[in-house]
Amino acid sequence: MPIDPSVVGRVYPPQIYEVSREKIREFAEAIGDANPAYVDTAAARGYGHGDVVAPPTFVMIIVMNGFDLLMKDLGIEFARVVHVDQRFTYSRSLRVGSRVEATTRLDGVRAVAGNDLLKIRTEVRDENDADVCLSEATLLVRPEDVDGGDASD
Amino acid sequence: MTERVTEQLAVGDVVADHTYWITRENLVRYAGASGDFNPIHWNERVATSVGLPNVIAHGMLTMGLAGRLLTDWLGDPAAVVEYGVRFARPVVVPDDDIGVAVRVAAAVTEVRDDGLVALELTVKVDEQKVLTQARALCRLPAERPSEP
Repeated sequence: MPIDPSVVGRVYPPQIYEVSREKIREFAEAIGDANPAYVDTAAARGYGHGDVVAPPTFVMIIVMNGFDLLMKDLGIEFARVVHVDQRFTYSRSLRVGSRVEATTRLDGVRAVAGNDLLKIRTEVRDENDADVCLSEATLLVRPEDVDGGDASD
Repeated sequence: MTERVTEQLAVGDVVADHTYWITRENLVRYAGASGDFNPIHWNERVATSVGLPNVIAHGMLTMGLAGRLLTDWLGDPAAVVEYGVRFARPVVVPDDDIGVAVRVAAAVTEVRDDGLVALELTVKVDEQKVLTQARALCRLPAERPSEP
């Protein structure tokens, strides 16, 4: 059943996330990234940061928390979801101890060839309400009874 | 006075090029680190049941690897100002010890007066683009950092 367009504009409760040293290290290792700015405070200071920073795509962890809320709300299982595009605009870096709030908004729903395309906008702000990152994503949701076709993620 | 690094760059320059390998182990590790436990990234039965040829890599892992090319080149990870991609084709990860090769290259598309450089990333598996519209805007340091 297609997603009812009346859900467009829904905003989900802000999710709070605190960036830890261990999570940055774990994420950097998972993408095989040995950049010292992720693990070595002195190296990060060499670039003018107060402490180690997170890799650019780390923020997706925070964005995904909001996707989870949205999926639950719309009754979508993750196995039906394909990531179509993703874009980040960074205003300031995420670093150890950053305490941020992510607000997720469903910006659009469009039915395409039996699938639903969701446009999701997530604003990540710090404790001073300053912009950290804007995430703009498109997700494709396959119908519940699919058994075939091709996909990407 | 030191020349800004941007003055040494020209449109069309390929500034970095690297091949990354993705194995099933990498997928499990990325699932744990990212919190994305979608079974299409680790369970062949579920992946094939939704019409995929096999287990596929998280799009965000491929995006993360392509981003690594940028941050390796830049040095400072926070020098990436904008980064976006379209996940055009699934990256199928075989159940072996070798994995799949993802080749990433970054070319300059614009050198701006404000020190920002626009780059286009080419991300391919078997000569087919897996990411398209892969673009980044980066802030270059006033001086090139010393080589390690």
